[in-house]
Amino acid sequence: MTSERKFIVPIGPQHPALKEPGHFEFTVDGEIVTDASVRLGYVHRGIEKGAEERSYIQDLYLFERICGICSHVHATAFALGVERLAGVEAPLRAQAIRSLVAEMERIHSHMLWLGVAAHEGGFDTLFMYSWRDREIVMDLLEAFTGNRVNYSVNLLGGVKCDVNESLRDQILRGMDQLEKRIQHYLNVVTTDRTFLARTEGVGRMTREQADLFGAVGPTARASGVPRDVRVDAPYAYYSTVPVRLITDERGDLLARFVVRINELFEAIRVIREILDHLPEGELTARMPRRIPAGETISRVEAPRGELFYFVKSNGGEKPERVKVRTPSLCNWGSVMQVAVGHKLADMPMILAGIDPCFSCNDRMVQLKRKDSQQWMSWEDLRQYGIEYYKKVL
Amino acid sequence: MNNWSVPPLIALFLFPGGLFLFLWGLFYEWVDRKLVARLQNRVGPRWYQPLADLVKLLAKEEIVPEGSDPTLFYLLPVLALACAMTSALYLPMAGFMPAYSFRGDLIVALYLLSMLTIGLGVAGANTPNRFSLIGATRTLTQLFSYEAPFLLALLGPAIVAGSWRISEINFYTQQQPLWIMVTQPIGFLVALVGLMGKLELPPFDAPEAETEIVAGALTEYSGRGYALFRLGKNVELVIALTLVATFYLGGLANPLQFLVKTLGLLVFLAVLQTLFARLRIDQTVGLWWRIGALLAIAQLLILFVINLV
Repeated sequence: MTSERKFIVPIGPQHPALKEPGHFEFTVDGEIVTDASVRLGYVHRGIEKGAEERSYIQDLYLFERICGICSHVHATAFALGVERLAGVEAPLRAQAIRSLVAEMERIHSHMLWLGVAAHEGGFDTLFMYSWRDREIVMDLLEAFTGNRVNYSVNLLGGVKCDVNESLRDQILRGMDQLEKRIQHYLNVVTTDRTFLARTEGVGRMTREQADLFGAVGPTARASGVPRDVRVDAPYAYYSTVPVRLITDERGDLLARFVVRINELFEAIRVIREILDHLPEGELTARMPRRIPAGETISRVEAPRGELFYFVKSNGGEKPERVKVRTPSLCNWGSVMQVAVGHKLADMPMILAGIDPCFSCNDRMVQLKRKDSQQWMSWEDLRQYGIEYYKKVL
Repeated sequence: MNNWSVPPLIALFLFPGGLFLFLWGLFYEWVDRKLVARLQNRVGPRWYQPLADLVKLLAKEEIVPEGSDPTLFYLLPVLALACAMTSALYLPMAGFMPAYSFRGDLIVALYLLSMLTIGLGVAGANTPNRFSLIGATRTLTQLFSYEAPFLLALLGPAIVAGSWRISEINFYTQQQPLWIMVTQPIGFLVALVGLMGKLELPPFDAPEAETEIVAGALTEYSGRGYALFRLGKNVELVIALTLVATFYLGGLANPLQFLVKTLGLLVFLAVLQTLFARLRIDQTVGLWWRIGALLAIAQLLILFVINLV
């Protein structure tokens, strides 16, 4: 920087590039970004606190609404945790259906991301086409569960939707169609010259960096980190139908595109395999109303990476404490580091590269500064909010 | 071959300046938007959408941001639109004789067209908004990168015609057995891509990349000013298409030729718009100076050599 005054470009909380509120400040020197910072928390909804006021069954619906895109994995993670506390295991068929819906959700989430990322790069044609083809899997999910986004497939101790013959055929047909389209997108992403110019070598994160920042999910896998909960600690039906780990060594935006698109192929393969070997049997196991006291964690692989739930029970009908850590939160740190040194024009794509989801990571965080720690109780937080807005207004 | 001329007052207010340009510009904006939408698997706007947008914007409140010069803020859109429309007077709009014509009017028309872009840049720099400032910088950067190759590409036909007068070039291209597009393919390519840069169409839309800098230089404009700038761009679209069609597509002898040739070009541009991802501004500049300018110069050199032989 030659001049003393910094030129800061604010992106958000309201900005055309962002579909959800978040605030980013990029200090630029000409077009080059020299510093980046992020501020989240615009959509804090107090879900964890809300969960303590509701019964386990109600919480299942509440957690499904943490994220509109990966609603199923949230419910799965919570259900798995509560089942483990209660010592109940869901029947095999229920587990298979959980995995089946999770993979279909992954397809819809990755295709959504493909479109959004292309749009951030100004490639609206890819955006429109990938979203059109995403409708195939959205329609299948609707036929399957009755809903397009919050499927509400999970129950504590099982699932409530079953696959019959005609639905099975419908899904398989849809997958054949999708596979062709996805192959086309892989070709476009890896061969289109203008698109490559925007992705190749941009936002490169080395494996060391990915480890250091604790990146998760496809973002980490694109940097060569072999980390996938479905492989490392299989849950639901993934021990029976193993998932192939997809990694890429390049670590740039192109690698993230390639990893996510290859994961789509893998998801299609898993869906076919699950449908071919769908075990017979019950859909639900009996769950007690009161969950025995104890605490547990459960981890699942959301489309964006590792989703972590901590559930603590005091033996009542309501959980004592539930903590959710979503994958987007883990990936933010990496973005802010990687952004420095790139052009301003690359920022939207680098931001979109981790497939960020804002509303799902806005929850209470303990502020840890170098010298002090600050905890806020619910009452403190409420009071703080009231005081804050009095000052602002 | 039969070019008609029009009386001056009509030329200023109805045709080829004024009303005709407005309506034709809005019509071409609709064609462009509709085609791009259909190519992108969308439905696209109805035929009256651009007009409806214009009326809506004109009816809206115009807010002058704090810290900007109000005179400039009001004046620039008018100036930009006026310059774009003035350049129409020297062009064979709709296949008619240019309303005015003198030696070297090619240069005047081109610079009047550039005034619109400069107006955009100054308008962006006039407001303290950071998105506007970056947008203005990019607009002007892009102007300096495409302007020279575009000009060189248009000089090719002018040199073979032996005149810098648009009307004479129009006559010359009509009399040629082959379109200049065929005899000077490199120049045509450069002119076409220069056209896209001039109109800030994708993939050269970095100056108004919405995912980075909202609306670029025009971020602070609303209401009337924004409407006039948009209208200016529509007018520029028509004029630039006419220019390229006159020079490279065998001239414009009558309204039918005008319609077919400019619409054909527009369809081609719409297809190109859907094919690419947005180029970064540094990539745009690199493309123009490393490839565009060199190609245009190569084309000129070839012409000189042929002329000498």
